[in-house]
Amino acid sequence: MKYSKLLIATILMMVSISLLIAGCTTTNTGASATPSATTTPAPQTVTVIDDRGMTITVPYPCKRIVFLVENAMNTMYAIGGADDIVGIGDIWMPQYKEAFFRAVDPDYNATLKISTSNGADLEALAKAKPDLVVLWSADWNDKDTKAISENLHVPVYGVYLRNFSDIYKQHRDFAKITGNEQRGQQVLDTMNATMKKVTDVTATIPDNQKPTVYWMWGDVYGTAGLHSSTNDLINAAGGKNVLNNWNNDTKYDEHPVLTMEAIQALNPDVIYMWYNPKLDPKDVMTGDDFKAWRNISAVKNGRVYELNDPFLDDSMTSRLPLVVMKIAKNINPDKFASLDLNKEYDAFFVSVYGVHYPGYAKA
Amino acid sequence: MAITPKMWKTIAAFLFIISPLPAFVISLFIGSFGLSINETLGVLVSRIFGTGLDYPGMYNSVIFDVRLPRILTALLVGGALSISGASFQGIFKNPLVDPYILGLSSGAAFGAALSIAILPTLPLEPAAFAFSLLAIGLAYLMARNKGETPVISLVLSGVITSAIFTALLGIVQIKTNEKALQSIVLWIMGTFNASTWSKLNESWYLIVLGCAVIILLRWRLNVLALGDEEAKSVGMNTELYKVLFIVAASLVASASVAIAGIISLVGLIVPHMIRMVIGPDHRLLIPLSFTFGAAFLVIVDDASRAAFGFEIPVSIITTLIGAPFFIFILRRAKVGGWE
Repeated sequence: MKYSKLLIATILMMVSISLLIAGCTTTNTGASATPSATTTPAPQTVTVIDDRGMTITVPYPCKRIVFLVENAMNTMYAIGGADDIVGIGDIWMPQYKEAFFRAVDPDYNATLKISTSNGADLEALAKAKPDLVVLWSADWNDKDTKAISENLHVPVYGVYLRNFSDIYKQHRDFAKITGNEQRGQQVLDTMNATMKKVTDVTATIPDNQKPTVYWMWGDVYGTAGLHSSTNDLINAAGGKNVLNNWNNDTKYDEHPVLTMEAIQALNPDVIYMWYNPKLDPKDVMTGDDFKAWRNISAVKNGRVYELNDPFLDDSMTSRLPLVVMKIAKNINPDKFASLDLNKEYDAFFVSVYGVHYPGYAKA
Repeated sequence: MAITPKMWKTIAAFLFIISPLPAFVISLFIGSFGLSINETLGVLVSRIFGTGLDYPGMYNSVIFDVRLPRILTALLVGGALSISGASFQGIFKNPLVDPYILGLSSGAAFGAALSIAILPTLPLEPAAFAFSLLAIGLAYLMARNKGETPVISLVLSGVITSAIFTALLGIVQIKTNEKALQSIVLWIMGTFNASTWSKLNESWYLIVLGCAVIILLRWRLNVLALGDEEAKSVGMNTELYKVLFIVAASLVASASVAIAGIISLVGLIVPHMIRMVIGPDHRLLIPLSFTFGAAFLVIVDDASRAAFGFEIPVSIITTLIGAPFFIFILRRAKVGGWE
């Protein structure tokens, strides 16, 4: 009897832990209303090639698009396609982002939310009646692409951003699909102009005067390899990836993992952290667990920075030039002393999203 | 004078006992920073004897803040996992058992994943430690029936507990983003790359305490290994000692996993290596497992941090070494003193 009670108590505890985890995470499944419009065959079609090289043909203008990848949804908001979004996948760290989404998309709360935590929820997708589904995918044969295209007979646009030009191409593609070419071009012009404010300056910095940068991913010893989009970010901001000085072939990987001694030997001038909820630059400079970092130039000179805003500092969106600007100002402060980031952010948000920053009031 | 088998055994035991010392010294000179032997010696002598020779702060940092805590952590974890494995093999009377048999590693992995991906305010090491102990506690309670804990029930409840925590880990993994997922995977693979004095300070006393209990009570494992009925017939309170050994072995393994991640096969193969040379007597097997396990893991970690210039999780190397060795053990007619 006692044994049975113990077993029941154990099972109940396990179920409680499962529910607790599920409760602690952000799940948007099952929320809100279903769009009432029905898909009608469009007289015209438009063809684009996605990041995987796959040719996609959809009705033109495409009015029913589901975004299971967040960065592409941001692009859609920039090019004026908010009304064409009929389904949204899971949002990472929604507490930092949803205020903005609501400001630029009055229907955000009502738009169907589709769980993507265990692959795309096909039934929820079917409910959205999409003409196109956009998801993160590196290859044609990934299981979500196959399931959506074979079971729902809906074309799938695979997003796989490897460099800056992929981000610009994404803007052109979605502007073309939704018939917002003119608006798309305006956004690209703003992005180019903002980026140019940085690159015009950083292009003049001699190579030997560029600070060496160690990019610190969440796993601390993992960094940005020389063939990564983050490496492009460092270069554009007028820095030099410290891995250029590393004598090891893994430096070309997307995410090489270094030993502490290798980091000490490379002795970077700057450490730049990707958003890390468990760690701040102060921890790296003074924390007990980072004693071995104390003699590294970046730490000795207090030059440890972080992309500390998961929304604003998302380099895989239209905000890429703002991220480059922030990094450039941190790693080359003398070159960008007169640059007022808050002013730049506000001007950019007004131009690209039609809202002010911060606060997201209508411009 | 011919060396008798007994003398060989004595020599081997002596070598196993002192093995951590050369491993420790050699490891101080190994690393990717590129310090020469003279520079390393100079920094060590200067710091220990205060010769006044001035070396760059970075040299001191490499030796005293990077290599030393890492080597000491590897020594402690290697010894802890080995002594824990030897104890569990004795309690379970089974040569295929390792410290993770009761679901410890799955519990720790879940705790770590929870901290990395869901609750960033929860410190990683304590989370891994707490959930590993929770897993073992659950396995033990599930196996306990009418005041007794049959070995077969313990093994099965360990399997069930492990499955439960693996499922919970799966939930965390599918709910998290790719960067956090990468961190979880790297943690699970086990590495000493993030060894620091502060982490060592948080766990060394737990490992030493657990090891001290096992070493002091080690001869009782010889009686337990005979089986419950035989042990009871010589007046031993088998339940009490089983609990004591399980608590002590779990404590050292949990503390080790919390600071280093899940390091595979060390707790399985090191006791076998010792048993093959010295025999199954736990009075020798237990202390020698600790010393040789410590030396073994330090040497393996030297390979993981210096052989390729970049970090390879140490568990990958222990598995690559351990798997063929394990097959070798299985193919032997006598399984290292078990038959």
